[in-house]
Amino acid sequence: MSHAETVVDPDKVRLWSEDYDGHDVISTRTFGFWMYVLSDAMLFATLFAAYGVLSYPHSYYTGPTPAQFVTPWYTFTQTMALFLSVLIYGWAMTSLKEGNKSGVINGLLGALVLGVLFLALDIHDVMRLIAAGITPEVSGGLSAFYCLTQVHAAHIFAGLIWIVVMLWQVARKGVTEDVVGRLISLRMFWQFQAVMWVFIYVFVYLWGYMS
Amino acid sequence: MASRRGYLTGFILASVLMALATFLVSSHALPPFALLLAIMACAGFAVIAQVYFLLHIDISEHNIWNTVALVAFVPLFVITIGLTWWMFSQLYLRTMPSIPGMPGMH
Repeated sequence: MSHAETVVDPDKVRLWSEDYDGHDVISTRTFGFWMYVLSDAMLFATLFAAYGVLSYPHSYYTGPTPAQFVTPWYTFTQTMALFLSVLIYGWAMTSLKEGNKSGVINGLLGALVLGVLFLALDIHDVMRLIAAGITPEVSGGLSAFYCLTQVHAAHIFAGLIWIVVMLWQVARKGVTEDVVGRLISLRMFWQFQAVMWVFIYVFVYLWGYMS
Repeated sequence: MASRRGYLTGFILASVLMALATFLVSSHALPPFALLLAIMACAGFAVIAQVYFLLHIDISEHNIWNTVALVAFVPLFVITIGLTWWMFSQLYLRTMPSIPGMPGMH
């Protein structure tokens, strides 16, 4: 008799474990936030798809293309600002493990300053493009370019607000379980922005510059 | 797992790969298609380094479900970007007339 034909006695079947499986609050919340991060990645995937179908030569409608306005080494400084910010945030988390509260606050401050630098460089770049008449309404290709890069910048802005809030909470409340959980979620959010930036930098800026 | 050395390793790997990609593109060191493959490889390795050393996506007991969730999402990314791009490239190929003064299809 195969397993599928075995008669199940509903009085004796065990549908779930009655033991405590060790799902603490922080790991449950962390997994839930990771689900959010992945759904956020889906949002970026749709924007990459839109950029992909709107980056043909005809998409720019004889107007400026990224090959004419992207400056690779300038955008590379943005890359380094964001990567350094993520590195210092990671070090703040190792300070958290060591129970070093001032290390956490210094790390968050460093990540904040470098994140602001990234955003300032981005805004400066956008102002340069707008001054040259390269605005989203010029062509479909430019709309997709601005949408993808500035949605990423909006994520950075939200992350910076979150870092300020966490600085205040660490200083005011100390290292409570809630604060630790939020710091872990923010770590994933902030590192995820660096991962997305790799794709944007290489496939939008660099590929756009060379084609 | 999460150590200063691990974060530093991820940072250095990703930064070196991005610097290499920037150098290759700005100096036009390779023919266009080889250049595209080279920067795609740089992006791929940089993302793997970040996901492993920064986000700690590995097969340890603590992180396995994060890894499973990411692996389950990968086909969704491929479908969303790949199928959309394929669909529109075929659509353009079959429907776009050649307009005088407009750049041609590629």
